[in-house]
Amino acid sequence: MNVNNVTHEIEERAHALSARVRPQVREARQKLESVGETVTEYIKDNPAKCLVGAIALGYIVGKIARR
Amino acid sequence: MDPQAETVPNGRSTGNGGRTLGERVDRYNDTAQQAWEATRNAVSDLRGTLDIDGRVQRNPYGTIAAALGIGYVLGGGLFSPLTGRVVGLGLRIGLRLAVLPLLKRELSDLAQAFEEGTGEQGAKGRRTRANVNKEK
Repeated sequence: MNVNNVTHEIEERAHALSARVRPQVREARQKLESVGETVTEYIKDNPAKCLVGAIALGYIVGKIARR
Repeated sequence: MDPQAETVPNGRSTGNGGRTLGERVDRYNDTAQQAWEATRNAVSDLRGTLDIDGRVQRNPYGTIAAALGIGYVLGGGLFSPLTGRVVGLGLRIGLRLAVLPLLKRELSDLAQAFEEGTGEQGAKGRRTRANVNKEK
């Protein structure tokens, strides 16, 4: 088996792996985008609740960090 | 004056300008309502002044991050070892990012100047050797 054959085989395997993984990556990206949009909509619909929650969370983290 | 006369606990009038229990409850209720109204007005004014709704609509994640930061500072986390570590790491990364391109540029300028200098010297050397050959 010469070097060209090995290179060709590695290339084919890489292509196969890429073809197998690409749809999963695309799906994960779409899911993340969907979650991001949902979170953004929730924050826009309930600004006061989210801000108070964020301040409370920051307060707790600050208290923990102070110890 | 009898101290018992002003502190009758059963809601009867003391006959000395005092109030019944019902009146007291009403008064406390009114005061609580006024306080609640004042708080709501203050919050509404603050929201209007800071344009919190607009900020949240324009940049929701940034506003939430700012709220987290405010809470962190209020919780006393500002002068904590964690903050020191995070700030130190940020400064180090920032300095590296800022200084590395500067160093790279300086080094490339230096290398260019050095190349030009050696090129000129080489040309000088070639000229000198050519003169010597002519003289020969």
